[in-house]
Amino acid sequence: MKYWKYLIFAVCVLIAISLPKFLGVYPLQILNIVLIYVALALSWDMLLRSGQMSLGIAGSCGIGGYTAVLCTINLGLNPLVGILIGSGVAAIIALLVGYSVLHLRAMYFAIVTLAVTEIFRILVRNFEITGGPEGIILPNAIFKGDAAGTYWLMLAIGVFTIILSWLFQKTRIHFALTSTANDEIVAASSGLNIFKYLVIVFVISSAIQGMVGGAYAQIYGFVTPESSFSVNFTLLPIIMVLLGGTNSTWGPVIGAVILTVLAEALKLVIPYGHLLIFGVVMIIAIIWFPGGIIGILRKGGVQAHH
Amino acid sequence: MALLKTIGLTRRFGGLSALSDVSMEINEKEIVGVIGPNGAGKSTFTNVVAGLYLPTSGKIEFKGQDISMTPAHVRCHLGIARTFQLMRPLYGLNMIENIMLGGLFGKGHSLKIARKGALEMCKFMALKDVERPISAMTALEIKKMEIARGLTTEPSLLFLDEVMAGLNKDETMEIIETVRKINQQGMTIIVIEHVMRVIRELTHRVIVLEWGKVLCEGAYDKVSSDPRVITAYLGEEAEC
Repeated sequence: MKYWKYLIFAVCVLIAISLPKFLGVYPLQILNIVLIYVALALSWDMLLRSGQMSLGIAGSCGIGGYTAVLCTINLGLNPLVGILIGSGVAAIIALLVGYSVLHLRAMYFAIVTLAVTEIFRILVRNFEITGGPEGIILPNAIFKGDAAGTYWLMLAIGVFTIILSWLFQKTRIHFALTSTANDEIVAASSGLNIFKYLVIVFVISSAIQGMVGGAYAQIYGFVTPESSFSVNFTLLPIIMVLLGGTNSTWGPVIGAVILTVLAEALKLVIPYGHLLIFGVVMIIAIIWFPGGIIGILRKGGVQAHH
Repeated sequence: MALLKTIGLTRRFGGLSALSDVSMEINEKEIVGVIGPNGAGKSTFTNVVAGLYLPTSGKIEFKGQDISMTPAHVRCHLGIARTFQLMRPLYGLNMIENIMLGGLFGKGHSLKIARKGALEMCKFMALKDVERPISAMTALEIKKMEIARGLTTEPSLLFLDEVMAGLNKDETMEIIETVRKINQQGMTIIVIEHVMRVIRELTHRVIVLEWGKVLCEGAYDKVSSDPRVITAYLGEEAEC
């Protein structure tokens, strides 16, 4: 029965929901960071399945974060609503950018996403309404900083993204993305509107990243140009996906979990030691197992479809 | 009204005129062969009509509609399908998934209906073991799969671009039979081939291209004995 997979997942989610009962504040905060990167890694992989690589995760995160904070402070909106609006604004900007540039491919598209990130980072740094170089500090973090509440928020976002990634592998989007990545000429000759699907996937991917950015801003209670548009948001998920395995749901999840936990553990021992690890991991992964951990499992005969 | 009409179709790549002022008409239910020496413009003709390249000048009319500037995927929806000279299977999908592509995006079917259509197509094309990856398929199966992938878009016009290349006698006969069956069901087919036996057996009419221009056209026997065609393929008689 195929459904045992979903059953196991449901059980895991239930266990995850119950964790605040057993874990203290510090472990829950670590889990928050894990979930942030799980969602970001998955969203990056979802676009990668079409063959296009985005270098603009930080841009969508920053746009989502600043929008969420501005909604809370200037419009007095509920922080959760602010996060949703942040996600929406990131999606709209992705729609505008994508519609203009998704006729470009590969490096050209990647560089545009990088440029858009930088443009927005510089914009927020230079306007008063976005707090200039110092950013904006929220009077209250969401849920007044309650560890369980913020954990459940991030868990919801993480689970939502996992389900979305699954859907991307089960519905016609899987066919659209795979055929585009494999051979655009065949895809177009078979009637696929490649441009349409690339824009859709880019928008959805950016919406997730905006949601994560918004949640991040609300949880930690502030936005600044450097932290909200931090290059970590772009580079780390990429490394996590490379480690865990591209073109899968569990690959990015495994990569995000392993590297985040490792990084947090290393931070206790060596300041910034985690950066060393990321570099080493990336080199090892690219040279020895470009298929990632999932690639190794697949070769070893374990037919992991997702 | 002709199904496909090209009027003065020209396609240049920089200084090279791959197609020069090609005018022709293809009627419904015909099997038309397009032959010519290498570099004659046969594949370019397919690519331009199917929408991979836009014409440099000239017009393409399909079912009476001007499709000269229409994007490739829209031409597929309008009813033009093609196979490729060099096999282009999608390695990220298995056999049945490759074939489903036509139904999914050519006709906009749901996954379920597209799969059902693809399975029927596999029966028609005598393809077995449909969940196999591309790496486990023979060349003949991949070719049949590509034809099936084109057919699931339910086209009115099918281009077969050198589909017989690399097939042995029996395999060629099998494909010829299949093409006949497809034509009997009402499909208009343009066959681009180097193998003259296939052209002779299958086609109602032949168009000969040379240096991007139409050299002559007519029934196979007339065309194959035309001295200009012989010269195009074999060169001029030597002055001894």
